[in-house]
Amino acid sequence: MKFRTLIITALLLMSIILTSCKAATETPVATEPPAEEEVVATEPPVEEEVVPTEPPVEEEVIPTEAVIYPPAPEYIEIGASIPLTGRFGSLGSQVKVGYDYAIADINAAGGVYVAEYGTSIPLRLTAYDDESDPTKAVSNLENVFSEQEVVAYLGGAASGMHAATTAIAEKNQVPYLGVSFAWWNIHQRGYEYLFSPFPKSPDQARDIFLALNEMIPAEQRPINIAVFQEMTDWGNELGGLFRADAAPAGYTVVYYAEYAPGTTDFSTLILEAQAAGANMLLGMPTTPDGIAIVKQMAELGWTPQFTMLVRAPDAATWAEATGTAGDLVTMFAGWHYGENFPGVAELNAKHQAEFGRPSDILVGPAYACVQILADAIERAGTLDRDAIRDAIGDTDMMTVIGQVSFNADGTGNVLNPLVQWQNGEMQLVWPLDQKTADFIFPAPPFGDR
Amino acid sequence: MDKKKIILLALLVLCVAALAMLPLVIEKDSTLNLIILVLLYMTLASSWNILGGYTGQTNLGHAAFFGIGSLTARLLWINGMPFFLSFLAGGLVAALLALLIGTPAFKLRGVYFAIGTLALAQILNLTVSNLFPEMSYNPALADYELVPRYYLFLGLAVLTIGCASLLVNSRWGLGMMAVREGEDAAESLGISALRHKLLALGISAFFAGLVGGAFAYYHVSYYLNMPFSPEWTFDPMMMAYIGGQGTIVGPVIGSVFFVLLKQLLVWNVGEYHLIIFGTLFILIVLFLPGGLIEGWKKIQNLVHHRKTSSGTGGFSKKFGSWLHWPQPKKG
Repeated sequence: MKFRTLIITALLLMSIILTSCKAATETPVATEPPAEEEVVATEPPVEEEVVPTEPPVEEEVIPTEAVIYPPAPEYIEIGASIPLTGRFGSLGSQVKVGYDYAIADINAAGGVYVAEYGTSIPLRLTAYDDESDPTKAVSNLENVFSEQEVVAYLGGAASGMHAATTAIAEKNQVPYLGVSFAWWNIHQRGYEYLFSPFPKSPDQARDIFLALNEMIPAEQRPINIAVFQEMTDWGNELGGLFRADAAPAGYTVVYYAEYAPGTTDFSTLILEAQAAGANMLLGMPTTPDGIAIVKQMAELGWTPQFTMLVRAPDAATWAEATGTAGDLVTMFAGWHYGENFPGVAELNAKHQAEFGRPSDILVGPAYACVQILADAIERAGTLDRDAIRDAIGDTDMMTVIGQVSFNADGTGNVLNPLVQWQNGEMQLVWPLDQKTADFIFPAPPFGDR
Repeated sequence: MDKKKIILLALLVLCVAALAMLPLVIEKDSTLNLIILVLLYMTLASSWNILGGYTGQTNLGHAAFFGIGSLTARLLWINGMPFFLSFLAGGLVAALLALLIGTPAFKLRGVYFAIGTLALAQILNLTVSNLFPEMSYNPALADYELVPRYYLFLGLAVLTIGCASLLVNSRWGLGMMAVREGEDAAESLGISALRHKLLALGISAFFAGLVGGAFAYYHVSYYLNMPFSPEWTFDPMMMAYIGGQGTIVGPVIGSVFFVLLKQLLVWNVGEYHLIIFGTLFILIVLFLPGGLIEGWKKIQNLVHHRKTSSGTGGFSKKFGSWLHWPQPKKG
């Protein structure tokens, strides 16, 4: 026993010696709230401005003198950690489909031309399921970085997952393209390798008032707003932006309340909003919270003329879960299969053939990530990560989600379509030149539906 | 101490030394990351095992102690306190919490204790998510290095397993096991069940808190309520069951098996990995209710029976305390 104690003590001493812990060298800097002036307006895509990318022509690239290229790698390696199971599994599955379709299409067309090697090289995605666990996502990205030596990362889904994985991209200095998160704050941390062709909170707060002012005559607008703000960092960000952007657009926030995610009883918020005279509801609940909100609104008999719940109605089961109560609810989806950009019809046909429905809302943005990456590699002419990062930053191209370019902080200048549930179908109602159905306003009382 | 025990201990020291040398020969962060996960779960499962395996109290709230350790260490660290002090504070706060809730919690028995601890973890999870809704970022991402984190987890795993081994072989450890076998019987023999359970809970929570602090040092950015989520209870518990709860090596084997097999399945079979892993878990529970250690002991018994007939002692007899519950010494 004494001998064992001695051995164990030796082990403990050794472990203490080996444990070299460092103190934090820097105190985190408080994040400034997003300022209106910093937000770059999203220009609607203008077809005339689009310069089609010509496929590389061997004759144009090869100089008159014979050039000996280094041997090309078999594939351009891309890595991803995607939540295919767990609480974000439904989002991750859509994202994965988009990546797979785009890579298949690009490879079917011969791959990506890389001038450094004088040839086209196919893309290969190594994607692992992280079970919606950020710790596993980090491990997965480290693994594809070490084993596949990836030239770029494609993101998974949901803000919490992206927050963990983008830090790894920054640490490993690998370009990262991600969708399915509207969180703007993450782009304000000085990350140099993060790019997201997806609408962010400032776009959503600005565009909701732009859209309403464009679609509703001034005298009919629902100008009294109730905001139900989820107590999360993104909820705080978006709620604050709704409040800041309302007054300049001619609206008033008459009621503003916070609630914890997972709340099941919203009756107090609903009754107080009704008492405050609100005729518009803005919120950003999760799907279960959103379902609870609209059902309780119907039960309590408060029908705002206009309701936008940014995140909850993106579930395909929204209409089934909420019935008529969830009808006419709107959201910014990030993309809609009805958009009339090049490649969308083909994408829908492929999705329809495999899943029996047009593309889900995250399929298009995920597809666009691969389009952007392929275009950047081709323009960079090399598989050097920093060169690809710089080329992504200079992107200005047409994709299945429309024209895409990036701001200095990695946020994308992209279309931000407003969709509305109408009789169980998700319809695109704004921008007007993209709409698949007319905007229905005002919402009739729940009892009359 | 007989010769074979010395050989076993020498092998253990060699294993630890080999692990300590690993960063010198392996350059890939992915391998270190994977071993870090194994060491993290090894520590967490071993700490759960002190209360769950040796004292017989099924704690479904282990995430509360892991989480409070992580929260304390992270907040202190990013606010300027040297990490090592923050790390120790995480363990101490977790132990303090355990002692505070221990006395009322141990008024509950069996399934009620399990539900009570689960409720504690959930309450803390919701409270922390409401109090700290912002993402916590690593304050020094540019200086982030994996190797110091690796040594931290390695040292912690050795410390936890070593202390658990010392504890269960002590008088207090025997008292804990007596409580597990029959609380009323133990009381009738003059063993204070509450005192032994509190001791086990405090030590278990202390190590869970320490590993929570190590997690706070390791993870680049996460929501502060994340370490309070139920998987930080159920995964280590599953590891202890898979390896063999109530043994020192059970959680070690269980965590290696759990993390490596799961990762291999993720890498090779995609989204079907959970189905395959779940099936394997069910098979182990059905056919080896004592965990993988039981499988090993069955093999040893088989060998023992054959050797007994030729006059040789069995392996499990030599290394009994490492493989199964230690027996009280006579006299």
